Amino acid sequence: MRRRELHFDAVVIGAGTAGLVAGARLAQVGAKVCVVAKGIGSTHLAPATIDVLGYAPDRVTEPAAALERLIAERPDHPYALIGIDAVASSLEWLRQTVAAGPLPGYAYVGDLAANLLTPSAVGALRPSAMVPETMAAGDSGRLRRVCIVGTPALRDFHPQLCAANLQLAGIDARAVSLDLKLERADMNALGIARRFDDATWRAQFCAELSLALRAEEHVGLPAMLGIRDPHGVVTDLEQRLGRRVFEIPTLPPSVPGMRLYEILRAALRAAGGRLVLGAGVVSAAREGGRLTSVSAQAAGADAVYVAPWFVLAAGSYSSGAIELDSRWASHDRVLGLALRGLPGDGEPRFTRDYLAEQPLSRAGIAVDGEQRAEDVDNVLVAGAALPGAVPWREHSGEGIALASGFKAAAVVAHELSGSEVAA
Amino acid sequence: VVALSTDVLVIGGGATGAGVAWDAALRGLDVVLVDRRDLAEGTSGRFHGLLHSGGRYAVKDPRAAEECIAENRILRRVAADCIEDTGGFFVTTPYDDPEYADRFARGCADTGVDCEEISAATALREEPRLHPGISRAFRVPDANIDVWKTVWALSHGAQQRGARILPYHEITAVHREGDEVTGARARDARTGEDIEISARVTVNAAGAWAGRVADLAGIEGVRVLPGRGIMIAMNHRLVNTVINRCQMPTDGDILVPIRTVSVIGTTDQHTEDPDDHTVDQHEVDQMLDDGEKLVPGFRSARALRVWTGVRPLFEDAKESDTETRDVTRAHALLDHQQRDGVRGFVTITGGKLTTFRLMAQETVDAVCRHLGDSRPCSTDSEPLPGSESGQSYHLGERLARKEAHLADEQVICECELVGRTTLQETITRTGSTNLDDIRRQLRLGMGPCQGGFCIYRATGILHELDGISAPDADASLLSFLQERWKGVWPVLYGDQLRQARLDDWIFQGVLDVEHLPK
Repeated sequence: MRRRELHFDAVVIGAGTAGLVAGARLAQVGAKVCVVAKGIGSTHLAPATIDVLGYAPDRVTEPAAALERLIAERPDHPYALIGIDAVASSLEWLRQTVAAGPLPGYAYVGDLAANLLTPSAVGALRPSAMVPETMAAGDSGRLRRVCIVGTPALRDFHPQLCAANLQLAGIDARAVSLDLKLERADMNALGIARRFDDATWRAQFCAELSLALRAEEHVGLPAMLGIRDPHGVVTDLEQRLGRRVFEIPTLPPSVPGMRLYEILRAALRAAGGRLVLGAGVVSAAREGGRLTSVSAQAAGADAVYVAPWFVLAAGSYSSGAIELDSRWASHDRVLGLALRGLPGDGEPRFTRDYLAEQPLSRAGIAVDGEQRAEDVDNVLVAGAALPGAVPWREHSGEGIALASGFKAAAVVAHELSGSEVAA
Repeated sequence: VVALSTDVLVIGGGATGAGVAWDAALRGLDVVLVDRRDLAEGTSGRFHGLLHSGGRYAVKDPRAAEECIAENRILRRVAADCIEDTGGFFVTTPYDDPEYADRFARGCADTGVDCEEISAATALREEPRLHPGISRAFRVPDANIDVWKTVWALSHGAQQRGARILPYHEITAVHREGDEVTGARARDARTGEDIEISARVTVNAAGAWAGRVADLAGIEGVRVLPGRGIMIAMNHRLVNTVINRCQMPTDGDILVPIRTVSVIGTTDQHTEDPDDHTVDQHEVDQMLDDGEKLVPGFRSARALRVWTGVRPLFEDAKESDTETRDVTRAHALLDHQQRDGVRGFVTITGGKLTTFRLMAQETVDAVCRHLGDSRPCSTDSEPLPGSESGQSYHLGERLARKEAHLADEQVICECELVGRTTLQETITRTGSTNLDDIRRQLRLGMGPCQGGFCIYRATGILHELDGISAPDADASLLSFLQERWKGVWPVLYGDQLRQARLDDWIFQGVLDVEHLPK
């Protein structure tokens, strides 16, 4: 078979938040970079809030302080490798990247000083360091009276349950269900988001909704307020309804996640980086202690990506990049790197209690203090593949992805600056 | 205290108890059925779904084989809607004693089990994933039976004829007046209220728990030895025909395609406590290895869920062998008037799902003897509600129904194609606030995502419709997640672990259910 050989300064494997951030950052410092991925990453599944540290294990109100404690207590945690400065820089970079991105006026708000507490679709209050501006008015610190609005056409959002739980949290909440008279019984959030991008449809929606609203109520809607121009949609809704309006993230597919993906992809492309999807890595070549190339699926023939530096950001067990087989052995299916944090032979991988920490949860690719894979010198690891965290319990996944992608790019850029590429 | 009076009180809402209720109701008797939990939540709901042809017992237990084939033929008529006619194979794999096949064929001929030898090539053409090294193959009329559907049909049928079906009513006392059992007291587990039920005859159909009920009646020596077995549901129809290894019955030698999954079973461990649902890791490993012998590549297929069931094996006092497979699988009908001189009390235990109707018939015959009122049984000819057409279930049924309403009905559970209207009707009809009960009714949350997407939706709908409080709705959601996890984690690997992680992200990351306001 003919093999296409492609040469880059750095190849990033994985197109989730970590991979796209690493790719965009490397491209921005002038590296010739290519992001190859089997498919789109977890952005489309996640709420797109930047949860840096939500629980440790109690609810975190001041992430900067809590991060310092976490780093001191858990030197094996990804944040201990990344460092709090890189976390702060990455948040600032994201804020600028969103502002400069393809969605006009769209912005991220918040920082490490204090977590925002915004409602989940079931009415729990989720702690996030940064959220899309379209969610900001849901912050419980400012939320007094709210009307949670849903529609029967969206099975993925139930306003009554959300409002009832918010009431338990001390917020004056009630629910309204609006029949949007969509032509299909089933619409997902993306389908409805496209309607919201349409000004005429939006005007009708507001006319109907305003009849149901009471004085001084904020309005909470599922995260579906526009895919092309969410800032314009929310601004328009707020003007027409004369009150603050906010989005509440719900089940996948995630509209705000798709927006974040578009923003990061645009940043990568604008800086000259390449993105190749449908390119699952099928093999890797090593020479001595270095990775020399990876082969990825492509139409016709596999393509060989040759580079002096690689960033592995393909995810963990959830993406399938790390696999637990039926004989209870774990493998890195992408590059075959050594793992860390696995339960010992014969020890349980999981516990009976669903909400408890599972023994397998902190497993990941063995890395040194700079996110370098332990058994290959020129591979940096970013995102969920890093060991030591339980991101869905800590509410730290997006923060780790963003900051570790950012930090990996900085390490690679530094290495490259010693050679022909200038940082 | 609520007081009820009836002809027949049935204790136990498994297939046997529901079968007794249906049989007795058909004979014109007034019936009250109680179960400490939901219907079919004990042994009945915890088996592999195999409607035996009798082939499995043809060599070892000819009488059981004869009963199975007779009942198999009857159930295909009267419970057609609950049965998918998959057919079955007995195959001699390279791991089996080749001598057994001839004994098997003779045994089938002797017991009347329809059995046709086919070439290994034919078997492999029909079931290409079977072990290519099979040397002989026999076709038998095995099938699968949906036990929940069966038990609902039995209980609905009985209700239509006036029976009162009371799930979540646990017996706290059995009343004796001298040498006569006159009824029982039950506690409503949901309200805590007691009800007094006076009955002319009380039937102890508590299966693996029958010894405890007999104790309450002051009857001695009814010992039921629970034999615990595990089953694993694989996320695909790895085969479309029931596959049995052609050997003396042992562990892990049956693979049953049912609904959208295939179930491998089973093991056999003696246990003291019928409520012990421990899954041993080595049993899981053994089952997966056994799967490889039937279908190479079994270990790389996706395992969905593991569960255990306890066989109610009635102990023969003369034997004390704890190797439970050797204790009789035959059912035991104890007429306590004959056995203990106690009138108004009958125990039915042991047996197997395939013969539940026969067990019910014999039980109600005994009930009629107690009543001194001989009435003929008609469960062998009267179809169950839903089975009147005689059309057996086929796999595409739900999809076909769904396709007819694609634009106008929401799908709440994509895996099992449960529509919003169906869910709402079920919540309203059952008045249940327990998502796990609804799961058993509708198979909600039983597919590959194990409730990842549908359970938030169902909780929202339950809350809107039932008017239950948010804390109750939240508790139902959390208990459903815990209940699902119980069967998931011991077989969590490969793609199912990916799925479980997505579910973790949805429930813990996106919804943050762990931190709901209290």
